[in-house]
Amino acid sequence: MTKTIVVTSGKGGVGKTTTSASIATGLASRGFKTVVIDFDVGLRNLDLIMGCERRVVYDLVNLVNQEASLHQTLIKDKRVENLYILPASQTRDKDALTIEGIARVMHKLKKSEFDYIICDSPAGIEKGAKMALYFADEAIITTNPEVSSVRDSDRILGILQSESRRAKMNDDPVKEHLLITRYNPGRVQEGQMLSVDDIVELLAIPLLGIIPESPTVLDSSNAGKPVILDQTSLAGQAYSDAIDRLLGESKPHRFMEIEKKGFLKRLFG
Amino acid sequence: MSSNSVVELKGSMYTFLSLKLHSGDLSAVNEALAEKVQQAPGFFSNTPIVVDLTAIEDKPDVDAKGLLAAIRDHKLVPIVASVHNRDGDLARDIDLPLVEARDRNTGNDTKPAAQASKKTSTESAESASDPVFDDDVASGDQTQNTGASVDSSKESAETGDGAADNNAGSDADREQSATGSHSMDPIDLAMSGAEVEYVVKRPKLVTRPVRSGQQVYARDTDLVVLGQIGAGAEIIADNNIHVYGPLRGRALCGVTGNSEARIFCQSLEAELVSVAGNFKVLEEIPEHLHGKPAQIWFSDDKLHIEPL
Repeated sequence: MTKTIVVTSGKGGVGKTTTSASIATGLASRGFKTVVIDFDVGLRNLDLIMGCERRVVYDLVNLVNQEASLHQTLIKDKRVENLYILPASQTRDKDALTIEGIARVMHKLKKSEFDYIICDSPAGIEKGAKMALYFADEAIITTNPEVSSVRDSDRILGILQSESRRAKMNDDPVKEHLLITRYNPGRVQEGQMLSVDDIVELLAIPLLGIIPESPTVLDSSNAGKPVILDQTSLAGQAYSDAIDRLLGESKPHRFMEIEKKGFLKRLFG
Repeated sequence: MSSNSVVELKGSMYTFLSLKLHSGDLSAVNEALAEKVQQAPGFFSNTPIVVDLTAIEDKPDVDAKGLLAAIRDHKLVPIVASVHNRDGDLARDIDLPLVEARDRNTGNDTKPAAQASKKTSTESAESASDPVFDDDVASGDQTQNTGASVDSSKESAETGDGAADNNAGSDADREQSATGSHSMDPIDLAMSGAEVEYVVKRPKLVTRPVRSGQQVYARDTDLVVLGQIGAGAEIIADNNIHVYGPLRGRALCGVTGNSEARIFCQSLEAELVSVAGNFKVLEEIPEHLHGKPAQIWFSDDKLHIEPL
């Protein structure tokens, strides 16, 4: 059974693409055949984060318009077995997507026996975001610890529960997961950020993971390598934990406390 | 000068007398009307009337125009007719605005004879161009469990009737003293029944959270929400609102003019609360009530917010 997971947030710049890349990479490295689709038509980014920007020939819009085959369009990842990238078009806009066209793509992916389809949603609540979430079975709501991001997440949760295919067909509702990114316990303590408890209370959905704020996230993005592949970084470990929980394991949440500085660190700052 | 200071268009609720015709026989109706009006000529003179035709609309050979003329002869002013079928012969014959009676089961004829209770007393209408009232709305809108003028004897009569006890209101008081009539009468001038039958409309129940940007409206009834109301969400009801999760968005009750509607919540964090158009924003809500169980209601021209 193919599972379709949308990574969405409403607000831009909170880490949807970073999360999509790491979640897809994490699932694939555990042996699941996984494809990650960039729905941000016109603002293609996922290929950069995945480090495959030089290999893009066809894109999602070509596939939707039946100008290319699935085989031609999918980019196979060079680092991780079972991982495929379906890039967005940079020259078109969101109007190039239709529900019927996406439905055809989804059907083909299911026939190709993918275990997971990860949909990287564009920001906003317009057509692109609605297309990305329409076929979702589960949703990872990416939220930064600040009020505007939380409110936008609340908004997208409402859309998810009223405009997704599951909502329209009266199926079981889309399963919701909260992923808090850019979490900085120090700034929470100083009152500059919302705490995990605050966010969970405001959104009232189960917590999938907390990704600590870390310079390695930006470094990895610049290097075109999903941060989950860097298991020395806390963010990479946090994404691995999130994958475990996504697969049904129960793991205690980490990275909620301020990191204690070691002796050497205290000595040298 | 803004257009609003010259004319103001808004939805409002009014209470009207309703006249239910049980017979299409012109002379019988005429006679019965004469008898009714004679009891209180001053009261009925030039009174606007909602004519309830639901009991006779399916009968053949009813002279609708004649019936209306008879009603006008007795100085009553028919303003609107209530029917089940807008396209029926009777409905087509008359030159009155029509409203659809929504529930066929609320008429007298479907009640057990032994009950001898009378059809509802009041008709309420919106002054808006598309009136949406009908007889089953009437009792729901005019009445509510928090009404200040509930008459205890009335309430007990009602519960004996098997009707829910959440319907009683100021308009109901008047009927009490009026004389009784029998259901076999050719006409039934409401507000003259000895007992009043109330129709309960089910509240709208929402079990999931209401998210930012979502809007939920409970038409003609109460709204009950078990989950939270997110900031930027809006919940609206014609009657009371009950929220069991945190209320962070906007809550507007009694939007069609029912100023007796109330809001009850477990944790008051609302951006805005409103009763029949009278609102307060969070800033005006006393600090010590934030996050506390509270109720909001309207009386003496003021919005009251108090802990539960």
